[in-house]
Amino acid sequence: MPRHPILAAALLLLPAAGACAEDAPAPKPIVPSFVDESATAGLRTPYQGEWEYMVGGGVSAFDCDDDGYSDLLLPGGKEKAKLYRNTSKRGGSLTFEEAKDSGVEVDKLLGSYPVDIDSDGKTDLVLLRLGENIVMRGKGGCRFERANEAWNFKGGEAWSASFAATWERGNDWPTLAVGNYIDPKADMMPWGSCTDNWLHRPEKRPGEPSRRFADPLPLKPSYCALSLLFTDWNRSGTPSLRVSNDREYYKGGREQMWHMEPGKPPALYTEEEGWKYLRIWGMGIASYDLDFDGYPEYFLTSMADNKLQTLVETPKDGKGPAAYKDVAFAKGATAHRPYTGGDWHPSTAWHTEFQDVNNDGLADLFIAKGNVAEMPDFAAKDPNNLLVQNEKGNFVEMGLEAGVASMKVARGAALADFNLDGKIDLVVTNRWTDPEIWRNQTADAGNFVALRLQQPGANRDAIGSWIEVKHADHVMRREITIGGGHAGGQLGFTHFGVGKDESVAFRVIWPDGQPGAWQTVAANGFYTVAPGESARPWQPGR
Amino acid sequence: MSARWKGAPLALLVALIVTVFAHVPSARAERMPPEQVLQTWYRLVLELVRHTPNYSPPVASRSFAYLGVTAYESVAGEHTRLVSLQGQLNDLKDLPSREAGAVYDDAIVLNAAMTVATRELFNRTGPTGQHAFSRMSEKMHATVTDGMPADVVRRSADFGTAMATAILKWSQGDGGAVVENMGFPLEYTLKAGPGRWVPTSLIRQQQVPLLPDWGKNRPFAMPEGSSCRLPAPPEYSEDKASVFYREAVEVHDVVKGLTKEQKAIARFWSDDPMLSPTPPGHWVSIGWEVLEADRADLATTVDVMARLGVAVADAFIGCWDTKFEFNLVRPVSYIKKTMDPKWEPLLITPPFPEYPSGHSTQSGAAAVVLASLFGEKKTFTDSTHEADGLAPRTYGSFWEAAEEAALSRLYGGIHFRSAIERGLEQGKCVGAHVVALKTRM
Repeated sequence: MPRHPILAAALLLLPAAGACAEDAPAPKPIVPSFVDESATAGLRTPYQGEWEYMVGGGVSAFDCDDDGYSDLLLPGGKEKAKLYRNTSKRGGSLTFEEAKDSGVEVDKLLGSYPVDIDSDGKTDLVLLRLGENIVMRGKGGCRFERANEAWNFKGGEAWSASFAATWERGNDWPTLAVGNYIDPKADMMPWGSCTDNWLHRPEKRPGEPSRRFADPLPLKPSYCALSLLFTDWNRSGTPSLRVSNDREYYKGGREQMWHMEPGKPPALYTEEEGWKYLRIWGMGIASYDLDFDGYPEYFLTSMADNKLQTLVETPKDGKGPAAYKDVAFAKGATAHRPYTGGDWHPSTAWHTEFQDVNNDGLADLFIAKGNVAEMPDFAAKDPNNLLVQNEKGNFVEMGLEAGVASMKVARGAALADFNLDGKIDLVVTNRWTDPEIWRNQTADAGNFVALRLQQPGANRDAIGSWIEVKHADHVMRREITIGGGHAGGQLGFTHFGVGKDESVAFRVIWPDGQPGAWQTVAANGFYTVAPGESARPWQPGR
Repeated sequence: MSARWKGAPLALLVALIVTVFAHVPSARAERMPPEQVLQTWYRLVLELVRHTPNYSPPVASRSFAYLGVTAYESVAGEHTRLVSLQGQLNDLKDLPSREAGAVYDDAIVLNAAMTVATRELFNRTGPTGQHAFSRMSEKMHATVTDGMPADVVRRSADFGTAMATAILKWSQGDGGAVVENMGFPLEYTLKAGPGRWVPTSLIRQQQVPLLPDWGKNRPFAMPEGSSCRLPAPPEYSEDKASVFYREAVEVHDVVKGLTKEQKAIARFWSDDPMLSPTPPGHWVSIGWEVLEADRADLATTVDVMARLGVAVADAFIGCWDTKFEFNLVRPVSYIKKTMDPKWEPLLITPPFPEYPSGHSTQSGAAAVVLASLFGEKKTFTDSTHEADGLAPRTYGSFWEAAEEAALSRLYGGIHFRSAIERGLEQGKCVGAHVVALKTRM
């Protein structure tokens, strides 16, 4: 068949058959504008390696030196990882310096997630590896020490590329879920060799606080997970564990969600409960309440078409079928092939994340794209997507206009306000080439508010909370989670764009289900929020 | 493959392969027989079919035909009493021949031929497929050549390579050699009108039909792609008294009231591309199970694989010729429009016109061919999907399996009864052309 790139581009613009009614003109969203500062930012860690490193490459963003700026841990694949300390100044160019001898300079690293496991206020790290996974206890000052033995974390020997964490109700020690991929030893017949995912729950000792993990519980069946997320999908107060699996390697597999009732063995959601028989090349999960109904939508990255799932029925009192329908087509979020560069082959999507990049009060969607390696039926030049949401809840591709349409072979990413100017910046990891980083310089961006939750005792970062922000005629909601994306996560301020609002009314529903009082703060500020207290303004030190 | 072997967990399966390689016999000990060499390659091929993105069922069927013919012609001759298919299959000619009086080793010949053919036919597979292929090639070459005289190795490998190269050259002119965008045309205008096919998927790529010109490809044993074209389906109508409406009501009601057994049948024969070895691969898997159960010799093995490959390939060409002649709407589109907007089929509706059912046509053709080789009342167990958690099913004949495969499309809610029953009839027509091939001296 002949190749017709122009026609292919035209096909991209065809209205979706099921979306005609929703395709009435909507005002064009504010066009975000990013400046590429990769050459000067100081990040020099390509994600290296061949077949064993075709997945992974996730970046974690967190503050390791208590200055409020997000630092970065970049995986080197077969080479050693590097931790970079953020040296940017508020509103200035993005700059980083290698934090040498941090303790996390390990090889065979596929990804990492920040989580304060021991709730000492110093962020710890979970390192996902080809081989033994490692938990690193944060010592402050961007230094870490191995804690597998101290915390009885059995790192195993697997191909781990996905992770999620939660504090199950009543626990003072987190539950960690680790997703494992194919058996690296089965390289002649790798198909069907998916190895078990693991659930590291706290070790319970009567009358004593938990300070260790119990031996990991295999999650059977496992189907080559590439993204995990603890999420309270039905607002029952008990998060479930979503698992997105790569259908390339499983047999008899599917997308999964586990009931995670405290003190009980995990149990899979069934078709009788509404969970559908969906099989995709699952690689990343992002969640956000896009339609303001109080329940998160889920974006699942895959190859060719991606999925945007919304509940078929609104749950009542935390109960209802776990049935989702795919609205990616109708919402313009399939992101199924390159939108620029002339390569018309289907795309390959990895990390994904919702953030409001133009501060208009509507979450936007970033997708890291890149060929697995040399798959000729998929795009070799596969630009990352920046899908900007319009007022009708549809997504408009603005990657090219925004300046982030890189053709490198991307894997991981993090969207965070690296220079604390109230606008979300972007870092992307790439196979074989250095990471790229863009500073958000959107001139006409709206106002924002950034909130960091801190609670006393266990689970200091209040994972499992919901933040609600009033804006226009609705309430924006974000669930505070650790997990999802592709092989990398974040810990820090939670960002909301609020358009032209000068003040912001918000409240927090804490992990124990108790809602805090509504309170109003000035827009364009950073705040720390604790239960029962007024939000405290926070100012960067530089 | 025996049911016992086929249904084994993959870890065990890999262990068995490793064991085979770990105990490579020397020339003085028992060597891997050529039919086992072929079986080992097909084992990889069935995985590559599943994991190569452009391998839709028609594309898979084409490769099974060329692989089968490659294997067959590589060992056809006086020593196997097999007659070349040159002059019988369309445009097949000028194949290399063995040097008279020289010594060849069929295991080495077959290994070389399958190495070349597999590499070429799956040159678009991903890095894992390429990785697995490389490992398989290295191990198999070491296995079949161990302890063999150098001149025999060279002569046999050269001949196998030459045969595969000639077959691949023949394949280039059939119209199916280049498949872009996973088979979905970049330029295609849907034909509007009552009863015409409309997209059923929310996947962007599938807003146009799969491989609309596949019916124009050069067939193998059929004279033309249209040689087995079917009469028109029941006339399209939204009148509740019409045959068409009644057939749609049947699909609607059957899906609404599916029994556990009917669901199991639908899932067993679903054979989705990229999630299974596809429908033609399912029948190739059946072929191997029966061959192994019968401990078939080399001649029977290559005869079965060649005829079976040709049968499913011609079935898809003939089926696609009819599909795009009538361009009929799918049940899901019609039922949602005329009777039940919330109705959903059990299976994923394939992205191309409805009439006839491709699985029915190719299952019918495969059953005719296998019955001609193994007998009309051959009992067998099909454990193709055991690793995927689907229990093996046992049949009293190939035709019984074909009828169940065909009916599974009704249970799945993706075909009307006419497409199923006439698809089987079309399969019989295709199969007859393949059975007519002369393979034995």
